[in-house]
Amino acid sequence: MFELIKIKTENLSFSYNGNRILDNVSLEFREKTITAIVGPSGIGKSTFLLTLNRLWETVPQSSMSGRVKIRFDGKMQDIYGNGMSLTGLRRKVGMVFQAPNPLPMSIFKNIAFPLKLAGIKDRRTIDENVERALQQAGLWMEVKDRLNDSGLHLSGGQQQRLCIARALVLQPEVLLLDEPTSSLDDASAAVIEELLVNLKDNCTLIVVSHYFDQVKRIADTVFQFPYNGISQQ
Amino acid sequence: MTRFQEAICEKLLLSAAWTSGSIVVFIFAFMLFLGLPLLSGGHFFSLLTAHWAPQQGSYGILPMMAGSLFLALLGLLFSFPLSLGCACFISVLGPAKLRFLLRKVVELMTGIPTVIYGFVGLFLLVPLVRDIFGRGGLSLLSASLMLALLIAPTMILFFCDSFDRVPRSYLDAVDAMGGSKVQKLLYVMLPNSVHGIAAGITIALGRAVGDTLLALMLAGNAIHIPHSCLDSARTLTSHIGLVFSADFESLEFKAIFACGITLYLFTAVLVLVVRGINHRLRRPL
Repeated sequence: MFELIKIKTENLSFSYNGNRILDNVSLEFREKTITAIVGPSGIGKSTFLLTLNRLWETVPQSSMSGRVKIRFDGKMQDIYGNGMSLTGLRRKVGMVFQAPNPLPMSIFKNIAFPLKLAGIKDRRTIDENVERALQQAGLWMEVKDRLNDSGLHLSGGQQQRLCIARALVLQPEVLLLDEPTSSLDDASAAVIEELLVNLKDNCTLIVVSHYFDQVKRIADTVFQFPYNGISQQ
Repeated sequence: MTRFQEAICEKLLLSAAWTSGSIVVFIFAFMLFLGLPLLSGGHFFSLLTAHWAPQQGSYGILPMMAGSLFLALLGLLFSFPLSLGCACFISVLGPAKLRFLLRKVVELMTGIPTVIYGFVGLFLLVPLVRDIFGRGGLSLLSASLMLALLIAPTMILFFCDSFDRVPRSYLDAVDAMGGSKVQKLLYVMLPNSVHGIAAGITIALGRAVGDTLLALMLAGNAIHIPHSCLDSARTLTSHIGLVFSADFESLEFKAIFACGITLYLFTAVLVLVVRGINHRLRRPL
């Protein structure tokens, strides 16, 4: 089946504190697939993810060159171009971090928070979207009776699924996951793996992972870092 | 480090903590001791409620209490929004280079001697207030505006520090969700910095109540309960300073111990009130 390219990086280089972390990385990511990025620690895998939603811009003493294009509304667009809104980009390119990072508020408010940031005020729309995101993340049945409890009181695996639900609530086109199961036990990791496979019908996923077993189970494409122009598919 | 060295370190630090803590108690005991004649004579509470009229033998410090309270609260009222706005700009909203520069300027401001603020107030602000309002050059307004400037750097740095302590993971989460800087500030940084903000207010309020020089130079020192910002007023601190420099023997002099005790309790109560409010705000978002 012909698959469209969703994300394309061209000669992407990144430096932090004068040290070159990424060097001329040119990669393509297919739409509605799971791509895994593997490699040793400290090689720039997480940094690479941050270039896809411009989150590195909050990191002092860092600089980037090259281009990143993402297909939005049927057209490849330079995410660093003048016409690209940063908030708009981050709402379409969701991110889940290595350590679960729920905000110190209730489960419901955690999921509804991106909607609040996007200016959505209609209570019914918020309720519907929160339920849908929690169901997508496989957390609805576990928390539906305690939505007003603090998100910080959930277990590690549940917190990570809460963060996935939070990233999904705005229905992003791309989901970046930075070692999403590294702080979880095997059972929780398995739940999240299954969830990611189900998500690729609606979303393009890029997962940074240390675990080759996991990569084999879920990834359609694998890129090995440090990137040397060769990818294993 | 050996266990013996660790034990020595622990004892040294403990003794430092005990010393600083006991000095506070010792000062209060000293004030009580010197004010004992007033307390035992049953004059203390009449001093708190009566007016100052030495000609009629009345040495009440009520006007000075009112002056201290009004000046400190007015100073805080002017300073708090200024400080909070400035801290928000320095911590989040401003361009990186300007933020760095402003923070250094604010740190520098904490080191400026109070008398400089007094001079600036006397020669620039007092004439300005007099020109604008037609009266009230040396007044609560002039003193409180300069006081606001004096306490602002302390508050700004406290607020900035409390913003800096908001966990990085919260900020990353908001950034990744497409939150703007203002949203990050309003929805995450401010609610998670309430304790730091309260601490900043407490310290600033303590400094405002305890400041002597600005009140002495700019508030006019008239002994009456102020009814407007343009009224002249005398604070407990400036009263102590003025009486102390005049004589050592009179009844007026004895009354300043009541001022000291009152000032001490006053500051303690203000700190407790701010802490109480802070405690009430301690609830999940």
